[in-house]
Amino acid sequence: MQTSEIISVNIWQIIISLCNLLIIFVILKKLLFKPIQKMLDKRKNMIDEQYDKAQKAQDDAEAAKAEWDDKMSTADAEAKGIIDSANKRAEKINEKAALEAREKADAIVRQAQVDADLERKKAVDDIKKEIVDVSSCLAEKIIEREIDVDDHRKLIDSFIDKIGEDDDNQ
Amino acid sequence: MLLPIVAAMVLKVIFTPASQGVEITGALIYFTIPMPFMDLPIGESQVNSWLLIISIIFLCLFMTHGIKERPNLKRQYVIEWAVDKVKAMVGESMGEYFAGFASFIAGIMVLSAFSSLMSLVGLFPPTSDINVVAGWAILVFFIITYYKMKCGPVNYLKGFTKPVALLLPINIISEFATPVSMAFRHYGNILSGTVISVLLGAALRTLSAKILGWLPGFLGDIPYLQVGIPAVLSLYFDVFSSLLQAYIFAMLTMMYVSSAFDYDLYSQRQNDKQKKKQKKAAANA
Repeated sequence: MQTSEIISVNIWQIIISLCNLLIIFVILKKLLFKPIQKMLDKRKNMIDEQYDKAQKAQDDAEAAKAEWDDKMSTADAEAKGIIDSANKRAEKINEKAALEAREKADAIVRQAQVDADLERKKAVDDIKKEIVDVSSCLAEKIIEREIDVDDHRKLIDSFIDKIGEDDDNQ
Repeated sequence: MLLPIVAAMVLKVIFTPASQGVEITGALIYFTIPMPFMDLPIGESQVNSWLLIISIIFLCLFMTHGIKERPNLKRQYVIEWAVDKVKAMVGESMGEYFAGFASFIAGIMVLSAFSSLMSLVGLFPPTSDINVVAGWAILVFFIITYYKMKCGPVNYLKGFTKPVALLLPINIISEFATPVSMAFRHYGNILSGTVISVLLGAALRTLSAKILGWLPGFLGDIPYLQVGIPAVLSLYFDVFSSLLQAYIFAMLTMMYVSSAFDYDLYSQRQNDKQKKKQKKAAANA
């Protein structure tokens, strides 16, 4: 096959090679640099977006935290108030209960005293009656005659009353 | 990786007849198209260039196929790194104004490097054809001239008389010497590699015939010495020299183009123009 000379200048070959370089330039620009630049831009946008998102999330979190802290502090105060009021109420109830109990006790004691007094009086009366009966019986036996029980009773009652009074006074 | 290269070497050795001797030829001519001024022979350098362009198209498509914002492919890292490097290089040596030149410089480097590296697989490297490299150099010359003209044709012509009017002829010569030197530097370096390879091949063939020719039959005809030794030299002449020349060509292009353009003068002129326009508009109003 025919070969060209080592150095053979041909204007058309020069132009062809010039065009080849231009074609390669266009190919690289369209097929390599443009898609990669596009991808890089996209990536940049994506990263920016992510940064924005992250910033927003952080802001949100901080706001939520501040709100929470605020709520927590008010809740603390509220709880304290509630506990205080509860304590006060409990104390009041306690006091009231104690007072009532004391009153009740006092009343019971008083009632008991009254009852005891009554009992005693009754007992005293019974004893008086017994004594009168016994003494009248004795007197009847002694004088062997019927005496007016009612007169005697009155007499003895007055006598015993005197004794009782003396007893009471003593 | 090295297997195809070795295979290509063996093929070349086998298909080159021993009797050929030392002969250095240009590209094979497949056919010739008649054109005005001179006929256009379509030879190896043109066909190889076109084949290279096609493979670069596919390479680009393969590399940029399926690239995502969040890369998960190895080739995406590779191509991003390469594009980043080229952009950084262009930005460093040419400045912000020429950022769009990144793809042109990448084109020069890719075309030059792969054209030269074609010799690795035993093909004719298009860069060892003066016409190919001259075409690139002339394109670069056009670009240089365009950017020099951007500051006005008067300033462009004035530039030839700087620093002294006496240097006018030398300046004109140096202006045209730029593309010529660029073309011949690249072409000469690649061609010299081919020439030395051929010379070495012939020498080794003769040597092996002298030393091992006593072997019986066809065993004596095989040029044993030609098997391994050219590979070592090929590492320098084909790989290193190819990449270096591509880098040098791209570097020179960047340097010449960026030094051809005086940004300060250009922006000053643009400002002046705008002021004149405003004045005109004011006068009209």
